[in-house]
Amino acid sequence: MRLFDNEEDLQKELQGFIAANRTRLGFVSLEAPLISNLDIWSNIALIRQYHQNMPRSEARALAEDLLRRLGMMSITEKRNPGLTTEERFCAMLLRAAMVRDAILVLDRPFGILTNLRNGRFIMEILRKVDDLIAEIHIFDYSWEKARYGGEDDAES
Amino acid sequence: MMTAIGILGRSLIDMLLSIRSTAWFAAQVIVRLFGLRTYNSASRTVFINQFYFTSVQILPLFLLVAAVFGSLVNGMAFQVIKDLGLQDYLGRLLMGFVVTEVAPFMTVLLIALRSSSAINTEIAVMKVNRELNTLDIFNIDRIDYLFVPRILNGMLSMIFLSSLFSQIVLAIGLFVSSAIFGTSVDAYIDTLLQSASLLDIVIVLFKCAAFGFFITLIPIRQGLNASRELTSIPIAVLNGMVKVFLAIIVIEVLSSILRFI
Repeated sequence: MRLFDNEEDLQKELQGFIAANRTRLGFVSLEAPLISNLDIWSNIALIRQYHQNMPRSEARALAEDLLRRLGMMSITEKRNPGLTTEERFCAMLLRAAMVRDAILVLDRPFGILTNLRNGRFIMEILRKVDDLIAEIHIFDYSWEKARYGGEDDAES
Repeated sequence: MMTAIGILGRSLIDMLLSIRSTAWFAAQVIVRLFGLRTYNSASRTVFINQFYFTSVQILPLFLLVAAVFGSLVNGMAFQVIKDLGLQDYLGRLLMGFVVTEVAPFMTVLLIALRSSSAINTEIAVMKVNRELNTLDIFNIDRIDYLFVPRILNGMLSMIFLSSLFSQIVLAIGLFVSSAIFGTSVDAYIDTLLQSASLLDIVIVLFKCAAFGFFITLIPIRQGLNASRELTSIPIAVLNGMVKVFLAIIVIEVLSSILRFI
């Protein structure tokens, strides 16, 4: 977990990190919204369809399996504007996890999960997709530390 | 006087710069159109969806327009031909006017009104919502994934729908011809075949492809010109549609020059 006292420092560090890990980056951020004219399963499947040329039906089955794993089957056919904040976060996380050997970056996740008091939900979801992700890095402000339960290392 | 010349010069320079950047963008797209790596599973899915939106969803309206327009054109043209005693020019009129001029023009108008405006808005909205940023972050090439499938669809849909339009009008022509002149099916088809010129067909195919290329390329480019503000979307669509209209006129004029020189 990387905590910063102001936006400027956070952005500078984040941009550097993105540039250094561009090929394996799985980015979860308000700066990378879901594509609004695609269903949620298409948003998730897109990464494998594009980068690995995975057939549409196979990519869809994979996306549905992952949504089922998170108990989010009901959002398969939905689009971004119709999602709750938790559903949106899960969809963005699964999309990021589709990158091969993903280096997952959560950029200020409480900016997406605006209604949550603490990071329990985030940690729970991360545990469920742990096998898909090589590394997890959380970028946030220092005053949000308490919401993560004082954990310094998300990987733990 | 000097101010007027300055304004005129600035407008001319802006126009030339715009044409140059559009030409550069078009060149990039053309190169990718012929690249095998462009056609991955994601791009193919986009292409299939776009073809459905452009060529299949429009069919009820398109068939109705073709039937109504075909009946009107055939009814009027055949009556004039009969009154003037120009029956020998029937085939030339149908192949040289309806197939090569009217069908592509009506088709491009219908597709431009429906699909070009939709593409323009879609790209502008994606720009405003930072969805294009999403593609960049996930290393998804915009040209491969977003632009090539739409442009290829524009070209193929134009050829397909223009051919369909021609066939409907010619089929209606058969009924009108047999009603007014008592022409048989064989004689009608023979007249059409004798009037068909390979060069005309090649030119009309190129014209349809050029229409399809530019009525999708221009809205994409104008959509990309939107800023991060919502208010830039209608401006991007307005500019795009005006330029689409100008492109249609330019292509129509150029193809006519090619045919008649």
